[in-house]
Amino acid sequence: MAFGDPRFWRSGAISSIAVMVVVLVMLTANTLASMRVGGKHVPPYTIINYSIDYQPNADTGVYQPVIGAPQAFFGKTYSPSEAAATMREGKLAIQSHACMDCHTFFGNGAYYAPDLTRAWLDPAWKNVWMPMTQSSTREEAMARFLMAPEKYATWSRKMPDLHISRNEAVSIVAYLKWLSAVDTNGFPNGFTTK
Amino acid sequence: MTAVELIVSSLLLGGFVAAGGAYGILLSLGHALRDARWRRLALAAYAVQCIFAVAVVVFTPLDWWWKLLIGASDAAYYFVPPMTWRYLISLHDLPEESSR
Amino acid sequence: MIAQPAYESQRLGMKYFAAAITLFGVMIVAGLAAAASYVVPGFLPGLPFSIQKILHIDTLIIWLLMGFLGSIYYLLPLEYKRDLVGMKLANAVFWIFCGTVAAVALTFIFVQIGPGTEKTLWLVNQGRKYVEAPRWASVIITIGIAVFMYNVIATAVLAKRMTGVLWVLIADLVPLFALYLIAFPAITNMSADQFWWWWLVHFWVEATWEVLMACIVAIMLMQLLNTKRNIVETWLYIEVALVLGTGVLGIGHHYFWIGAPKYWMGIGGLFSALEPLPLLGMVVHAIYDAGEHKMQVANRPAFFWMLAEAFGNFIGAGIWGFMITLPQVNMFAHGTQWTASHGHFAFWGAYGCGVITVIYLALQHQRKAESFNGTAWKWGFGMLNLGMIGMAGALLVSGMTQAFYERAIGGSTLSAFIAAQQNPWFVEGMWMRLASGLLFAGGYFVLVYDFLTIGRRVEVTAPAAPVLSGSAGD
Repeated sequence: MAFGDPRFWRSGAISSIAVMVVVLVMLTANTLASMRVGGKHVPPYTIINYSIDYQPNADTGVYQPVIGAPQAFFGKTYSPSEAAATMREGKLAIQSHACMDCHTFFGNGAYYAPDLTRAWLDPAWKNVWMPMTQSSTREEAMARFLMAPEKYATWSRKMPDLHISRNEAVSIVAYLKWLSAVDTNGFPNGFTTK
Repeated sequence: MTAVELIVSSLLLGGFVAAGGAYGILLSLGHALRDARWRRLALAAYAVQCIFAVAVVVFTPLDWWWKLLIGASDAAYYFVPPMTWRYLISLHDLPEESSR
Repeated sequence: MIAQPAYESQRLGMKYFAAAITLFGVMIVAGLAAAASYVVPGFLPGLPFSIQKILHIDTLIIWLLMGFLGSIYYLLPLEYKRDLVGMKLANAVFWIFCGTVAAVALTFIFVQIGPGTEKTLWLVNQGRKYVEAPRWASVIITIGIAVFMYNVIATAVLAKRMTGVLWVLIADLVPLFALYLIAFPAITNMSADQFWWWWLVHFWVEATWEVLMACIVAIMLMQLLNTKRNIVETWLYIEVALVLGTGVLGIGHHYFWIGAPKYWMGIGGLFSALEPLPLLGMVVHAIYDAGEHKMQVANRPAFFWMLAEAFGNFIGAGIWGFMITLPQVNMFAHGTQWTASHGHFAFWGAYGCGVITVIYLALQHQRKAESFNGTAWKWGFGMLNLGMIGMAGALLVSGMTQAFYERAIGGSTLSAFIAAQQNPWFVEGMWMRLASGLLFAGGYFVLVYDFLTIGRRVEVTAPAAPVLSGSAGD
């Protein structure tokens, strides 16, 4: 009986894996192209020079980032090379402070603290922390919060003081602003920015 | 998908697989213990699984292609346990082919 | 008197088992701390949740990996009929591995994090889930896996003996090694970073580990339970075909929301929806084996843990996974305690129970006990599994509450997050999880006691059919 012959199943295993791996490689090439910085789903780093919103698509109802008018970020416009360097610093700061072990990015990480995919757009910055930190801009409120999270805590589960420097805080905020403009197929659904 | 639809859909999907598992377990027990009563219970579990499948189709806002997939896999669930069982028996009846 | 294993490689295997079970304990302690942090925030001053969490999930990975290494080192000499090549090196690697794990744990506890520089990633913390260990430690782990590959492959070459199981094992070790290299880069683009990170996490946990476990079980069935080789190899090939046939593109269910194209929703949803079917086949197989042996095997703990693996895998990965895998549901359940519920149950079913099974069989083999039974293992089995069911159930309640209030109603803002975390259903679920975790921890102590004493205690048990065979030490 062929089904009882190990060689039959060995051939089956090898061929099914081979087909799947070939398909995976092709999809990987396509996916990496569409998620490169400035690609179809992932914005260029200079997106931090624009206002960003998050709204449902009029036709599909799927939430997506909406890029608006130019907007100064910490009072200036970042050149492509400045923006890239800031993002590099921001990502390094995010990794070295283990942000992902309390928070999630794109829903991946730990579930002790809120998801940061659209953190830049959260209405709490304007409604709560801008007055609390006496900041005139959202980015300034975020930077001040990151540098002294225990001082500006809003509930019992406090973010600990991670000794984040001013430069690191600015880079992290820039990173979160860029992140909020990534097209994530509608995740998270129904996020209200006002 | 509303909040209530979310909970209902996920519970129906979980129940669908759980009933399929119960069917497989009861059918296997029926074979292992050579007792037809277990096999009748297995069919009852499969009937429950079909009810779950119908409920997924009727009551959830899942896209039609997911509903089709649930229907197709409902049919597949029926065959997996008896086929696996028969295959295991035929496999264990084979003579030793290679030496250690 | 307890006989020593015949082979140096088997002695190393036992050392790996001891290290694995020790780390299993560390994982539980860190998990209890993290669980307590949810209900009493900041209860451990100086050790934030992030570090508790890192210790919990990194020891999870390392204890299972050490369990796999121990299993292979223990079982492979039986397959080759000789000791493995390069045991001195392998022994040295074991101690270096243990020293590295201890050094990393101390770094996490006392240094924790550092400034945003490459230096921090090299020396302190890489801040990527599951692979937080600093790069210097990752280099050592890479070398350790390379030495392990050398042990296996060089032995096969010298012994001039390749069986089907060995082919699968060696073919599996190559991607296992290569994928670990993804632990190093710090890609700036988060989408690309997570794309590759999932290659490591998914293809380890849902592909190469599954195959490794299948190889371990295959050798165990042949060498310790006397099952015919052609049956075992046929079963192994089927398992590999099913696991990788659905698992390779099953990676798509991690790509729904990371900035990847939409087609992953169809591919990921389809392949992960198919996943419960082979798991159901495995449950049927487990019951078939139970019937074959009429429940009268000489190593009842191993036998019951093997059943727990099949059932746990089906429930944890199959039922729990299917609840949340379709994109329309996953949109709300992803990244909540619901995911944690699924993760706990699935890891335990697929791997935790499997490693414990192998350890029980290896202990019986080593202690040359005719029968392995008693009362202690039953308590350990019951408490660990009930504890896990309790944790998964409690996290499910909390997770559904979170998905309901934070995601579906609240739209995932900070205020929606806080509202869900303070919801009584969520809070009670978290208390229940902590209580179940304590039960689980109690079960761990009984398990360790049983590992240390089973086969050495004088027990009055009915004689059972011997299952030891192929023991090179005989």
